[in-house]
Amino acid sequence: MSGTVPALRIDGLVKRYGDFTAVDGISFEVAEGEFFGLLGPNGAGKTTTINAIVGLAHITGGAISLFGYDTVRDWRTARRQVGLAPQEYNFDRYLNIRDVLIFQAGYYGIRGKAVERRADMLLERFDLASKAKLVYTKLSGGMKRRLTLARALIHEPRLVILDEPTAGVDVELRLELWSMLRELNTKGTTIILTTHYLEEAEELCDRIGIIQAGKLVALEATQKLIGDGSLQDVFLELTRR
Amino acid sequence: MIANAVGFQTLVKREMVRTFSIINQVIWPPVIQTLLYVFVFGFGLGSRFNNNVNGVPYAQFLIPGLIMLQLIDQTYSESSSSVFQGRFMNSIQELLIAPLSAIEMVLGYVVAGVVRAVFIALLITGLGALLVHAYPTNWGLYLLTIVLVAVLFSSLGIIFGLMAEKFDHIAVLTTFFITPLVFVGGVFTSLQMLPPVLQKISLVNPMFYMIDVFRNSYIGTGDVSLWLSLSVVTLFAAAAFAVALGMTAAGYKLRT
Repeated sequence: MSGTVPALRIDGLVKRYGDFTAVDGISFEVAEGEFFGLLGPNGAGKTTTINAIVGLAHITGGAISLFGYDTVRDWRTARRQVGLAPQEYNFDRYLNIRDVLIFQAGYYGIRGKAVERRADMLLERFDLASKAKLVYTKLSGGMKRRLTLARALIHEPRLVILDEPTAGVDVELRLELWSMLRELNTKGTTIILTTHYLEEAEELCDRIGIIQAGKLVALEATQKLIGDGSLQDVFLELTRR
Repeated sequence: MIANAVGFQTLVKREMVRTFSIINQVIWPPVIQTLLYVFVFGFGLGSRFNNNVNGVPYAQFLIPGLIMLQLIDQTYSESSSSVFQGRFMNSIQELLIAPLSAIEMVLGYVVAGVVRAVFIALLITGLGALLVHAYPTNWGLYLLTIVLVAVLFSSLGIIFGLMAEKFDHIAVLTTFFITPLVFVGGVFTSLQMLPPVLQKISLVNPMFYMIDVFRNSYIGTGDVSLWLSLSVVTLFAAAAFAVALGMTAAGYKLRT
């Protein structure tokens, strides 16, 4: 880890939908270069928190900053710092997968030969180069998963948020994705990961935060959180309703 | 106003890619339909009006109305379905997480709508020139009207694309408002051809003013004052654009 300004700072985040409070005043920081796991049962508030970070959800209260840029006041600069790999495959069905990457870079205000080279490099890196001219519906599930990651990286974000990146993939691809994520993190990209696979969080994350019913119920270095037990035991203990 | 010009241009380009990837749905139907209207109405019924409506042969009178008919229909349909499909497939998230402002997004869809409209209008104009020798005489007014009408219906497309919960909802505006109002708004008839009571009703139909001002760019005259028609069209276009912008800025059905 390096740097004094955190990659992500969440300060008293509240998100309500009518009478329902999805996120109830959570605060935490993620340091630059960290691999951070955000865990919690379904409906705990993980996705709402992620949506608030990337601007897909209006925040009811509190503040979020990315590398010191407030996501409301300095929203343009803040959004340039982050890439999102959502759980669902929400690619543009009218573009081939190379253009999916190039157009995504365009939305971030980047274009030209450098972007085309980066798109080609990412397609190569994620073993998708031979499929460059296909639309995403022609790809296998594993390929779509890798494309999700490539799209999140096209604008060279300093922080990448991965929402269940290995959901529904086989063991081989999961291990391959783990290797890619480790490599990405080693090169300096901060990563926030949500997952229901506890062994994945245990394997990859430096620190883990656990959300339950919109509140942060644990925030510790992975090994300290686990202690002599297992992450599953800790998780079940903390999230038992 | 546009801080992320590349982002805005990328959205326009994306909309164009979409248009040309479904060319049989967007570009050719208006051309084929116009051809059929010209043959059936222009050539078939033209002689019944002694081939003279507002000083020109009926087939020539028909062309600007037919251009407006297709332009209004296609501009609304494409804009609304693109926005709704983006929401439905969630691919609109690509825009929502990017550093694109509401004005850049709305302008992206609207400018793409204008480009699409100009393209379709020029195709049908060429057809009209070829078949019945109908040419615009005031190209400035011709282009201005296309732009205003495209802004209006692209904006309405965004509004209904945001409001719709299923594709069926998008068709409500087309089926119950746009198509009937356009058909009775002077595509096929001059105001003077209608009975007095229908003339009065026509004057509260906004489509009438759009068709009248556009026909003015062809035959140099209209049923009502050019400035009145232009004012009505401009007012509606500005209002629809403002509502589309307001809804997008508020994140209506886009951001939770």
